[in-house]
Amino acid sequence: MVDFLDELEACVPALRRYARALTRNIDHADDLVQDCLERAISRRGLFRPSGPMRPWLFTILVNLHRNARRSEQRRGPHLDADSLPDLGTPAPQHSHLALAELSRAIDGLPLEQKETLLLVTLEGMAYAEAASILDIPLGTLMSRLGRARANLRLSTGEAQEPHLRSVK
Amino acid sequence: MMDVTRDTLMAYLDGQLDGDASAAVDAWLADNPDAAIELAQLQRQNEAINTLFGPVASEPVPPRLNPHRLALAQSRRRWQGAARAAMIVGVLGIGIAAGWLLRPVTDTPALHNRLIADAVSAHTVFVAENRHAVEVAGTETDHLTSWLSNRLGTGLAMPDLATAGLSFLGGRLLPAPAIPGGRAAQLMYEDSAGERVTLYITPSAGIDGPNLELVRLGSDNALYWASATITCTIVGPQSAETLQALADSVFAQLTPAATAPAYREL
Repeated sequence: MVDFLDELEACVPALRRYARALTRNIDHADDLVQDCLERAISRRGLFRPSGPMRPWLFTILVNLHRNARRSEQRRGPHLDADSLPDLGTPAPQHSHLALAELSRAIDGLPLEQKETLLLVTLEGMAYAEAASILDIPLGTLMSRLGRARANLRLSTGEAQEPHLRSVK
Repeated sequence: MMDVTRDTLMAYLDGQLDGDASAAVDAWLADNPDAAIELAQLQRQNEAINTLFGPVASEPVPPRLNPHRLALAQSRRRWQGAARAAMIVGVLGIGIAAGWLLRPVTDTPALHNRLIADAVSAHTVFVAENRHAVEVAGTETDHLTSWLSNRLGTGLAMPDLATAGLSFLGGRLLPAPAIPGGRAAQLMYEDSAGERVTLYITPSAGIDGPNLELVRLGSDNALYWASATITCTIVGPQSAETLQALADSVFAQLTPAATAPAYREL
């Protein structure tokens, strides 16, 4: 029981990071993480598969986020002045402007591409792990990842010549 | 010339290749400067994403996201549920004793009131359970449908309440000595906040009483209705209006052939 909660606690920073990147809103993101934790606590034993905890938690979080998005879409779009992230101190090679542009570009991605891209690049998940969290075949994961990256390059004006697409 | 596909390059970018495969891509890139340039751009894209959101993981975690605290709050809620159950049992006991002592010689307690009380007792006992909340999990819908239909001797379908934000946890068979068939079924649902709703279903043969009744017991509401084939009591902490809306949906799905009673009369 205590082990379970400790293990859960160790996953909280990553869950917050992923939720923040998905929603770009600190309150929505933390609400999502809280829902996710409460669900995990109330369903331990009954629903938890006998595997590592991290993919299980991310599966719950992704599903909660999709549900929230669906009900939000029914209510109409929600505009929020806080939705731009606090950019903090950028690494020297990334200007504030470029980061803000990228952040907007990520936000503009279709949800399925955004979920995939962030699991792999931000959370450093193995392809197979990300595919099982999103419940899609590996090939689908790869093509979503490729489309997400191509879309980001297009909308941040980086893709002059799409070389990778011509590579065989 | 080795074959480097787009997927291989992406796996290289994401650090998903082992040492040998990665070294092979290194060598290939040396001969393919255009691909190397684009790969470097994507590498910067990855870094930028981590620059944007990576620092979130080192922010102090707000207390409301502490799992120990959340677990404590949950078990406290559950304990309150148990205390409530004990209180209801006590109150029911007093009520039954008083009813017995004061009973008019010709009048036994109405059967439908027994069913409502049984539904609330079953609700209070089983919603507090985690591992044993249901006997058969909601994933086995077909099995539940045929099993419970057989045992109750009337056709039942497992209502899908996903549109009301309720996921189906499963169901169980319960004894119901007061009624002719002697059996009742309980189905349990849970919303995203972990609040649970149960349906307590019996065949309606031999049960005379109102078609519809709403009772408030403790902090739970119970909505009972009877049709030509079944009675169903919905129990949950939700408001009377919410239960009524649920009842509409439940009724339409539980016995698809029957017609709905007039809830609006409540």
